[in-house]
Amino acid sequence: MKQPALSIDDLREAVMRLPDDSLTATREAALASLDEQGLPSSQDEDWKYTDLSSAIDVSNRWLAQGAKTGSTETLRASIKSVTASIDANWLIIANGIVDLTCLGEPAEIEIKKFTDSAMPFVMDRPLADLNAALLHDGLRVQIHGATEKPLGVLVIDEASDGARVIQANVEIEVAPGCDAEIVEYQVSSGPADHYANSVIALQIDQAAQVSYVRIQDRRIGHIQTARLSVVLGADARLNMASYDLGGGLVRNDVDIDINEPGADAVFNGLFLAGDGQHIDNHTRVDHRVGPASSSQEYRGILNGRCRCVWNGKAIVHAGADGTDANQANHNLLLSDHAEIDAKPELEIYADDVKCSHGTTVGQLDETALFYLRSRGINKREATQILTHAFAADLVTRAPVPTAKDAITSLVEKRLGELIQEEVL
Amino acid sequence: MLEINNLRSRIGDTEILRGLSLSVNAGEVHAIMGPNGSGKSTLAQVIAGHEDYVVTGGEVTFNGSNLLDLEPEERAREGIFLGFQYPVEIPGVNNAYLLKAAVNAKRKHQGLGEVDAFEFLKIAREKMALLGMDPKFLNRGVNEGFSGGEKKRNEILQMAMLEPTLAILDETDSGLDIDALKAVAEGVNTLRAPDRAIVLVTHYQRLLDYIEPDFVHVLSEGQIILSGDKSLALELEEKGYDWVREAANA
Repeated sequence: MKQPALSIDDLREAVMRLPDDSLTATREAALASLDEQGLPSSQDEDWKYTDLSSAIDVSNRWLAQGAKTGSTETLRASIKSVTASIDANWLIIANGIVDLTCLGEPAEIEIKKFTDSAMPFVMDRPLADLNAALLHDGLRVQIHGATEKPLGVLVIDEASDGARVIQANVEIEVAPGCDAEIVEYQVSSGPADHYANSVIALQIDQAAQVSYVRIQDRRIGHIQTARLSVVLGADARLNMASYDLGGGLVRNDVDIDINEPGADAVFNGLFLAGDGQHIDNHTRVDHRVGPASSSQEYRGILNGRCRCVWNGKAIVHAGADGTDANQANHNLLLSDHAEIDAKPELEIYADDVKCSHGTTVGQLDETALFYLRSRGINKREATQILTHAFAADLVTRAPVPTAKDAITSLVEKRLGELIQEEVL
Repeated sequence: MLEINNLRSRIGDTEILRGLSLSVNAGEVHAIMGPNGSGKSTLAQVIAGHEDYVVTGGEVTFNGSNLLDLEPEERAREGIFLGFQYPVEIPGVNNAYLLKAAVNAKRKHQGLGEVDAFEFLKIAREKMALLGMDPKFLNRGVNEGFSGGEKKRNEILQMAMLEPTLAILDETDSGLDIDALKAVAEGVNTLRAPDRAIVLVTHYQRLLDYIEPDFVHVLSEGQIILSGDKSLALELEEKGYDWVREAANA
């Protein structure tokens, strides 16, 4: 089936209706770029396994219905429940609208709206163009010093009727030598169709350290495309873990750019998918100089009828000697109808490098299952114990301690649902 | 307690048990010996309910009911315990968690409430001290990174906590040094009681120096070909298994 085209004329009208502000020129440039390139299709190697048709369809319907922005009032209770679960200085983008009421007054964090100071967008990717073209507002955050609480970025949406589309855009810079904790939380609710497209750029300056947790708990059936681009300065460190629990069609792109020597990036991920879910994690790390190290481990637990993708690319550019790059992806398939496409990719153009990659796909260990059952634990519970154990490791490694309890309970809840899904 | 009558079982296309009969009463300790491949471990696995072993004939009853109808977990809750020859490593599952889940599964089956957490730890620590186990093993992953001896002690710890009616210990002595062997034997001997039975599956006589059996059986080609008292084990040690086979064929 051919992918439908995005209605550029309707999109242009929607862009024209946005307020005339300092972002106008950027929006128009993004629109022109999108018009020229179009959105990615399965013809593109990077999009072979993930079909954006449903996102385009929701966007076209939303545009045809006048591209309305939802009210944020109905989201009060949901916002409260998230912000109460993790103690943080929260930046909120509710139904696409920036809300700074839960930020508190951390002296070390400086925030500007894009509309106050025009931002130069990097528009080399169609989804970033779509984001820029429709952006109401974005946030530029500078973290100058260690804060008592993590910085929270909450992208929260509700789709009650028709079709909804939102864009979120945040740029975060962590100043040299600074330690920062960041929690990104994307969640949505409501019975109507919904598509959220986010772009987050993180710049970690020289010798700064960032612990980053990403939680995606969108309604099953909702669509998310999310790009996180990280640039690491000299001796900078990133320790990240992402948790994908919900969403119908989810595509996450994580780009790590190592431009200076001494950088170290650890980025792990756990994705849990059941009936009707498609979760695609594409990661790319560019080692442009050495010595530097990167390491990623993604784990998937799949049950019911679902499909997941893990594509981990590491590029060691010419001259990036002293690079150490490791990638691993392990998947647990609990159903015959679950599918994982796992693809490690290494491109090495330097001589003195250490690289490794490994992928496993399997069912629960039958011997372990029998062992537990022989101790009186029933099959369902034994399955749960082993499945939880597979996930527990990545939950334990969540780099932001304040968020660990919330992650633990979200993962346990979702795993409980997943294992219920099919008679085992 | 356990009545096995003319039991036949295969794994894949290979028939392993070929008409095995055995009767175990409360209060008794039985040793099942035999050469490699004679079907000792298969017997243990079939009693515990491993699904890879297909029962093709015969009966097994436990306290009067048909054991073969029960799932492995039901057998455990009814009081059967299998000490594994190769205890399984389960990273990410806490040893104490497994012990507690197992104890509670059995208590629930008996209509009892969950065990008190404090009381549970106290008993677990006592049993560990008896087995010469460091209490830190409670907080490790199940058998994760344990040495061979530690794994076997952990099996005996589980047994001691679960207080089974029938304990089947599959090659529990293999890979143990003498100290570990003594500790394990002491753990087993502590469990000896008039209302319990123990079946030791072993290749060597050595274990029987420490756990004195009431009966010794020789298994060969899926059948018990000779039974006797503990002196039979010594005779086997001296003369080997060929002697029994020749005697049985004669």
